[in-house]
Amino acid sequence: MTDTFDHSGLPEDELLAAEYALGVLTGSDRLAVEQRASRDNGFARLIADWEQRLAPWGTEFSEVTPSPQVWERIAGALPATQAQTTGLWQNLNFWRGFGFAAGAFAAACLAALIYMGTLTRQPLVATIEGGGHRHFVVTVDAGRGTIAVVPAAFSPDATRVPELWLIPSDGKPRPVGLLRGDQPVTLAISPDLAALAKKDAVLAVSLEPPGGSITGQPTGPVIASGKLTSL
Amino acid sequence: MDLDANRRLIATALARIPSGDRTALQTVYRLTSAKLFGVCLRILGERSEAEDVLQEVYVTVWRRAADFDESRASPMTWLIAIARNRSIDRLRASRQNRNMDPIDDAADVPDSAAGADSALERVQADAGLYRCLNELASHERAALRGAFFDGNTYEDLAARMKVPLGTMKSWIRRALIKLKVCLEQR
Repeated sequence: MTDTFDHSGLPEDELLAAEYALGVLTGSDRLAVEQRASRDNGFARLIADWEQRLAPWGTEFSEVTPSPQVWERIAGALPATQAQTTGLWQNLNFWRGFGFAAGAFAAACLAALIYMGTLTRQPLVATIEGGGHRHFVVTVDAGRGTIAVVPAAFSPDATRVPELWLIPSDGKPRPVGLLRGDQPVTLAISPDLAALAKKDAVLAVSLEPPGGSITGQPTGPVIASGKLTSL
Repeated sequence: MDLDANRRLIATALARIPSGDRTALQTVYRLTSAKLFGVCLRILGERSEAEDVLQEVYVTVWRRAADFDESRASPMTWLIAIARNRSIDRLRASRQNRNMDPIDDAADVPDSAAGADSALERVQADAGLYRCLNELASHERAALRGAFFDGNTYEDLAARMKVPLGTMKSWIRRALIKLKVCLEQR
């Protein structure tokens, strides 16, 4: 309704955007504005323009240091990292209980395992396909603990990001990392995850909100998948 | 320029968040949390509630960092808008703690960016918004400030300034229009 004018001379949409940016609307009106802005880029732009106009007022807010616990709570609310969800992490915690010497011993064992891994494992590859298109080409170097992902015919979604999952023989998806549709990425994987990246394990890509799934499992549609095979 | 260097650091860190980089979010937090906490605290007036909302703000930043477009907004403008919006949402949900002290616009002093963090910010601010605010009537300026800094609704402001709701709506709408016209004249 950009062409209807208020008595005062601004398009109704622009007034609504200004009222939202100023902060004068009631709860239900704010919700309606936010919902509309999430699907109407032009309207979202009107709001952003008003936020920019009022921005110099932001200099008047004084700086106040929040308590240190706030960051801890934020970090706790983010998606779990692989290190926190794998058995290795729990083992490391367990080992830490025995003190530094035990920890160092464990680290040495781990290093030896990884080294042996590099001797015995060949790189694995997968093409991740869906809907008749090859979306990504993946190379897994379990020895080095890296997964390289090259986009082929992946068209990015404006609101969601592609996330890569490893699904080993137990059928449970493990988060690997976020991909890009416009450039290759190399993701580091934990030794635990590397151990699961075997021949015939499945790699899948789902579309997730920016920042990735926060549940540790795919929350968006799985758009493509492929099996790991040896070269 | 210090301010530019800071802006660059924040923008660069924001750009790394969509790939899932937690240290990037921590960098943004380190550089901006005192300011954003100041925003939440000013609007909500109560520390523990402001800290709750501050947490929501950075989780929102984590999820929406891909929406940040440096060509459209400065990183601080974008972040402050998120902090204000989440604080106002909280205020609307609780309907408590909001500043309802009567506003006496006769005691209004001309707006200036005296609270700005640096001389450069003051100069930039005075040139635009503050110059135009000072062209408004004092009751219009007082109403806009009550909305922006105290998170007041039309109803709140009508009560604080002791005028009918319809009057308050037309004051604010007229003031917003004048503000836009003035800012575009530069």
